[in-house]
Amino acid sequence: MSVTNRKGLDYWLPKLVLSPTIAITVIFIYGFVIWTAVLSFTRSRILPQYEFVGFEQYVRLFANDRWLGAMSNLLIFGVLFIAICLIVGLVLAILLDQNIRAEGALRTIYLYPMALSFIVTGTVWKWLLNPTVGIERFMISLGWESFVFDWIVNPQMAIYTIVIAGVWQASGFVMAIFLAGLRGIDTSIIKAAQLDGASLFSVYTRIIIPSMRPVFFSAFIMLAHIAIKSFDLIIALTGGGPGNSTDVPAIFMYQFSFQRGQLGMGAASAIVMLMTVLAILVPYLYSELRTPKNG
Amino acid sequence: MAELKIENVNKSFGETHILKGINLDIPDGEFVILVGPSGCGKSTLLNCVAGLEEVTSGAIRLGDKDMTRVAPKDRDIAMVFQSYALYPNMNVYKNIAFGLEIRKMPKAEIQAEVSRVAKLLQIEHMLDRKPSQLSGGQRQRVAMGRALARRPQIYLFDEPLSNLDAKLRVEMRTEMKKLHQRLATTIVYVTHDQIEAMTLADRIAVMKDGIVQQFGTPQEVYDDPANIFVAGFMGSPSMNFLECEVSRVDDGFAVEVVSEAQSYLLPVDPNQADLSGYEGKRVILGIRPEQITHVMPHVAEQPFVTKVTVKIEVVEPTGADTLVLARINDQECECRVHPTESGQPGEMMDMLFNMSKAVFFDPKTEDRL
Repeated sequence: MSVTNRKGLDYWLPKLVLSPTIAITVIFIYGFVIWTAVLSFTRSRILPQYEFVGFEQYVRLFANDRWLGAMSNLLIFGVLFIAICLIVGLVLAILLDQNIRAEGALRTIYLYPMALSFIVTGTVWKWLLNPTVGIERFMISLGWESFVFDWIVNPQMAIYTIVIAGVWQASGFVMAIFLAGLRGIDTSIIKAAQLDGASLFSVYTRIIIPSMRPVFFSAFIMLAHIAIKSFDLIIALTGGGPGNSTDVPAIFMYQFSFQRGQLGMGAASAIVMLMTVLAILVPYLYSELRTPKNG
Repeated sequence: MAELKIENVNKSFGETHILKGINLDIPDGEFVILVGPSGCGKSTLLNCVAGLEEVTSGAIRLGDKDMTRVAPKDRDIAMVFQSYALYPNMNVYKNIAFGLEIRKMPKAEIQAEVSRVAKLLQIEHMLDRKPSQLSGGQRQRVAMGRALARRPQIYLFDEPLSNLDAKLRVEMRTEMKKLHQRLATTIVYVTHDQIEAMTLADRIAVMKDGIVQQFGTPQEVYDDPANIFVAGFMGSPSMNFLECEVSRVDDGFAVEVVSEAQSYLLPVDPNQADLSGYEGKRVILGIRPEQITHVMPHVAEQPFVTKVTVKIEVVEPTGADTLVLARINDQECECRVHPTESGQPGEMMDMLFNMSKAVFFDPKTEDRL
């Protein structure tokens, strides 16, 4: 028996291979999160500086009308985006689950928007929604002279165009999640419910959908963090306009930090966004990791 | 309660013909088991009776009503599935009550019915648990409870015990039999396990390739199999099939077997088969392992018993008996002997072939002679 204490290549190689990734993650994710948090407590303007002012940046942030507008836009966008995506995704998944022909092809078609970058989605929808070249123009050219669809230039309605584009992009993905959930349900449950006398509608509303709670939860989490972090879609679609009518926290953060020389307040808004995401994610991760299997 | 008539039922999925003219008459209160290898169409037939699959042609009658085109929920049938198919989001109480709620039964009656069923199946203490918190055996009971609660005319069971471990399966088997004796309702039960079929059934329908090969009581199916398939499928270890030549002896017939270059003539019981057309031809002798035993004086004196010396190839002790594999007519042949009488592999051993229950098959059609 010769067990040497010398640690050979077998011992060091995995650590060696992983260390660059770990270093990068620690510095560029956690390091910068901490740096941002530190900056949010300073008087930084264009460049970072370290004169600490406590929560003053946060106080200024929540006194700022543009920030409050951005938060309320996020609320409208987030609620509608998540709700409509869940409904559309669920309906599509249930329809696709009826043993239809060419299901694979249809699934791919619905899933494809997810493969596009939000920038592309935003640009395409910008053209479609543009009153002078898009849908409105098309309807008028068909002879419907009075047709008006100018939400994108209407400050009251512009936020809803973002909902439309966002739903178009993400609902196929939600459908795929729900479809996977539906496929996981034992078909004999449906048969049993039929024998019990339940109509197809009540099979879904009383048994299948309630038993997909974990799936709803996962979909909600994914949509929620897309909504909170949404930036590129809005930049491409409306650029935050008209005026500030489609401002959201991510745009606010970008503009204040890098365009208006308000690095401290930008950092404060970034930390508020991080806290919002964490407020949603932490309970989720907690429940996912804590509860064992819950069939 | 009603009798179930399955009349000339055919079922095809596209080009594949699954059920080929099934006819079964199941009287009220009978426990019928459909048994066969996987892919024989037994589950499809059960689904057709339940209405979950539409029959391609033929009729399904319940009592005097034609149910062929009736929706599953209006057939007054309850089914227990292999996977139990409990509703995962509902607790046990809700699972049992669901069918009653859908049928708009008043709340108080539902409550009474659920507690009756729960008491019957001894699941009262777990009414507020979710299916995920139950063991396999408990889920099985809940699934049965759900079927019992509706008091249907017929119960259908689709391999209900196959997901349980061996010990629990035997327990539930006994319980299922007790339950049937108490309820006396018609039950159609699908299984691939021939022991389950033998122990539970009033009558067994042995199926293969979408055709009912034989429909009879367990003893009939065991002793008088209609063809080689039924003979081989029922019974474990399965029947020995030895191809041998028929010859005429004194006042009857005998078949010739060869063991270790020694030839023996086994007399044929005329009650078992009339081999008059087969003199000089080859037939397949079907003889169960328990009819080939070690030498016992009281058996040796019986008619149609012959002593054959065989060479032991393999010995398989099962505890109660030991199975001895020998080579006869250059085919494997299993014999069942008392553990203390068994020799070692390679040794010679005397065996008594009791032909009073032997059966014979045509080598071409594989049908019983």
